Amino acid sequence: MSVPSGTEATGFLYPFIDSEEKGTESLLADLASSARSKVQKSSALQRSTLVDCAEMLANAGAEMAARFASGGRMYAFGNGGSSTDAATFAALFAQPITGRPLPALNLAADQAVLTALGNDVGFELVFSRQIIAHSSDRDIAVAMSTSGSSADLMTALGEASRRGLLTIGFAGYDGGQMAGTPEVDYCFVVASQSIHRIQESQALLGYELWATVQQHLATDRHRAIDQVDPISQGPGGTA
Amino acid sequence: MTGIPPDMLDGGLADDLAGASLAIARRFHAGATMWCIAPRWEPHAHHMAVEFVHPVIMGKRALPAFALCSPDVVAQARVSVRPGDIVIAVADAGDSAVRDVMRRTPAWGALSVWIGSGARPPGGAADHVLWIDDPDPLAPATGRFVIMYHLLWELTHVCFEHSGLLSAPAAGCTDEVCITCSDEGRLAEVLLAPTSAFGTALVRTEAGEERIDVTMVDPVAPGDLVLIHAGAALTRLDAEAMR
Repeated sequence: MSVPSGTEATGFLYPFIDSEEKGTESLLADLASSARSKVQKSSALQRSTLVDCAEMLANAGAEMAARFASGGRMYAFGNGGSSTDAATFAALFAQPITGRPLPALNLAADQAVLTALGNDVGFELVFSRQIIAHSSDRDIAVAMSTSGSSADLMTALGEASRRGLLTIGFAGYDGGQMAGTPEVDYCFVVASQSIHRIQESQALLGYELWATVQQHLATDRHRAIDQVDPISQGPGGTA
Repeated sequence: MTGIPPDMLDGGLADDLAGASLAIARRFHAGATMWCIAPRWEPHAHHMAVEFVHPVIMGKRALPAFALCSPDVVAQARVSVRPGDIVIAVADAGDSAVRDVMRRTPAWGALSVWIGSGARPPGGAADHVLWIDDPDPLAPATGRFVIMYHLLWELTHVCFEHSGLLSAPAAGCTDEVCITCSDEGRLAEVLLAPTSAFGTALVRTEAGEERIDVTMVDPVAPGDLVLIHAGAALTRLDAEAMR
């Protein structure tokens, strides 16, 4: 909307300008209040989720640490926003700001592999085919989902379970299929109906899981790689 | 406190989010594309883009948004961003690539939004700075940034329900206009240096491309930022000079 110059005495000609400004003010106040209430809800959901999952976090973290200590790798995967949360989770392990870097991969990262599998064998198999190609029985598969029932994730978790991997699922709502199958060793359910609030609590669950693994690897006499070859170690000490 | 504190939005952040959401909605309404960058935490750039492109709520508008993840994100943003667009970053205040993108956004005509935590960027580093002051370097991995862009998306779509408020007030009615020549100082980025001693340089500004006199700041090179006034470059901005 353009405002003519020299409007000092002509405001009465443009009453809609005043009403628009009031409209903006009241909209901004509504937005801020809505944002505050959603943060409070998300914060409360994060706390209750951690309480509900405390025992599972401790147990899953211990098993993951043991697998990393024996040379295992972690594969994280999901769809859409959850695929980015899986990538953040994998990066937390592989490039941590503090603590020990651990081998963790995001299975949605490679567009060549993803599109080749999607095109040739169907989207349902994009992650399970990678599990078949990459994994050993020391490894860990982590699927992030809000529904808990995505076909590509369930197929990959089933494949991982048959191959002896530790299988971990993140779900929302009532946990979906992940919560009801023996193919998932640990299923973390965020009891919410909102995809956004579920993802926010899953981020903290992932962080706590990472912190638990780090605690084990700092206190146990585990080594991240059980057979270190001194010749292949670079000057920085990385294998 | 690890995770999202219940009072995370106190101290003005709720109002900052509200203002940024209305500005983003107005830009999208006028045809903007959103460009998402997060060099240290690339998944956040992808998550922001997918949020707008493929909404979690059926029936909400799909909006144009891309993640920019090139190793040279400044060059990638420069060639991608058009006047009227939106640039949104998740990064520390010290991220040199993001600082460089942000200080160029006025010349590109882009609205800039910067999400981060820890030490704040200097005042005016972006149009909308959405900041968590907690110095914990792991804050990006505990859901605090995720909720910030979830809320931006949610509030932007609330704004779309108020169609009467989506037209931004016309620019150019500020008191900063030079009375003598009615041409304010504007930021420009050099596209082509002059080919002769008294030739003009081609620059881009928020209004598009134009030729300007650069004799006062010569020599200039492509990528240089200059302040222009009445068809001439007055001064060159140093690489680290913020807006």
